[in-house]
Amino acid sequence: MLKINQLISGYGSVQILNGANMRVEKQSIVALLGGNGTGKSTILRAASGLIRSWKGTIEFDGEQIQNLPAHEIVGRGLVQVTQGKDVFPAMSVTENLKLGGFILKSKQQLSDNLEKVYNYFPRLNERKDQLAATLSGGELQMLCIGRGLMSNPKMIMLDEPSAALAPQIVLDIFKNINRIRQDGLTVLVVEQNVRMALLLADYGYVIKDGVINVEGDSKKLMYDESVKESYLGGTKANV
Amino acid sequence: MFNKLRIGKKGENIIFGTFVLLYISWCVNSPDMNIESLKSVLTIGLSVGIIYGLVALGISLIYTGLDVVNFSHGEFFMIGAFAGLTMFNLLGNQDWIFNIFPDAYGWIIYVVCLFTAFVSMGLFGVFIERVFLRPLTKKGGGYTVAGMGIIICGFGLSVVLINVAYLIWNPVAKPFPAELGLPMEIGGLFLPITYIWMIVVGLSVAAGLWFFLNKTKMGLGIRAVAYSKDVSNLVGINVPLYISIIFGIACAIAGIGGTLVGPTYQVVVFMGYIILMKAFAAAVVGGFGNLPGAIVGGFTVGIFETASSFYISGSHKDLYAFLLMIVVLMIKPTGFFGVQVKMKA
Repeated sequence: MLKINQLISGYGSVQILNGANMRVEKQSIVALLGGNGTGKSTILRAASGLIRSWKGTIEFDGEQIQNLPAHEIVGRGLVQVTQGKDVFPAMSVTENLKLGGFILKSKQQLSDNLEKVYNYFPRLNERKDQLAATLSGGELQMLCIGRGLMSNPKMIMLDEPSAALAPQIVLDIFKNINRIRQDGLTVLVVEQNVRMALLLADYGYVIKDGVINVEGDSKKLMYDESVKESYLGGTKANV
Repeated sequence: MFNKLRIGKKGENIIFGTFVLLYISWCVNSPDMNIESLKSVLTIGLSVGIIYGLVALGISLIYTGLDVVNFSHGEFFMIGAFAGLTMFNLLGNQDWIFNIFPDAYGWIIYVVCLFTAFVSMGLFGVFIERVFLRPLTKKGGGYTVAGMGIIICGFGLSVVLINVAYLIWNPVAKPFPAELGLPMEIGGLFLPITYIWMIVVGLSVAAGLWFFLNKTKMGLGIRAVAYSKDVSNLVGINVPLYISIIFGIACAIAGIGGTLVGPTYQVVVFMGYIILMKAFAAAVVGGFGNLPGAIVGGFTVGIFETASSFYISGSHKDLYAFLLMIVVLMIKPTGFFGVQVKMKA
């Protein structure tokens, strides 16, 4: 589904990615792990067109998409789900979701998708007329995922869905991510919460200093000593 | 954590209220004070104020959308007035319009002029944004507060546009003799109909903008782009296109403002500068970046200016708008309706 080959990119003149390689198979959940400042988010930003790729290719659904304008990448079905704080706070929940379906042409499809998102997250339906600013952290994350689903994507990329949330809510959100996968979507999760991410994912990549350092089946990665010791922020993941 | 409509602290409001009461008592004690003069002051103040409000609306719209202050906005106002006047001169000698609509002849021509100013300034604004401002955003800074280049470019554009207008229309003040009928009587007061017309059209434009921003899909996109360019990109909004649209709408509204004042005053190359400054004062008074605040600020500046020149001293007319701005900045730095504050989570 998504293939990243020898990707080199960065901000301004600072190079962050030094040739990263990744593959995400169709209908799988892949976790991208790594500590702070290793280039996790940079891969996502390059894939969704927010920053330029300097070198290398990004292939989505068989076509090269590197350096396309961001809104065209959304149109092709690759959507990045931001962290929960990146909603439009002065708009209602429904308006936020409608913005997610901005590229949809028909109103029918928009209301169908709205229904679908409320089905995934009934909490959003309860709060649909509230301003997004009044939601709790977990609800904001649900709103962001729901907004990502509004445009009928083929694949979603989640940027730290568990950031700053209580474990119970993280579990709830991860269950929903699994449900989304079972409904036919491909998911890439960027995470710092290693244990949860590896429980959820089928396959994992660990990034360090802008290159993929270790990769493998998530069950295997979970017990990989080198992963535990070297790349997970210095602390051993308690598995 | 998020956008807040800040109403203001209690103390600020009390101090500001005291100033307002002092000012009102000063005006009431003036020998010119009577109900007739009050009526005309209010009408003239509101009609001038809506013009400041319209230009301030454009400045605020560009500020919220692009995060820069457009210092060439007064020139769009001026060129809009000339666009309306040019259309007026083209249509003025056409007998066939007069033959079809003998009664509403002046009105129809004037409405066409307003429409011309609106459309041509909208397109001109998009052109300016694409050709002169867009290349600056690519060199870093972008449409952010750090994009100092765009602000300097605004000053430069202002000088260039004035001189281009000077070449095309020469510096002589031109009348805009729209035939809109006899003065209207409101409450025993005869007022030129253009005053009423300015208020009606200005408020309709503001209401139309409100409807556009809040009830249409494109308006939703504009509000999204105004809040965050990155997140808007991620939901599939064509952000560069929307930035052009925001700039175009702001310029189109300024153009309508120019054509609206044309028949009441005169059309002259240098009219943009003072309007920009007063609209800036109006935007600050209403709360910079707040769209309803821009209109309220415009009315406030308009009425304050007219009342002061009537009851206090007419020889310092242009001073009062800035006096009000300074007082508001000292006592209520966020203006009447506060700034929509963007804070990090």
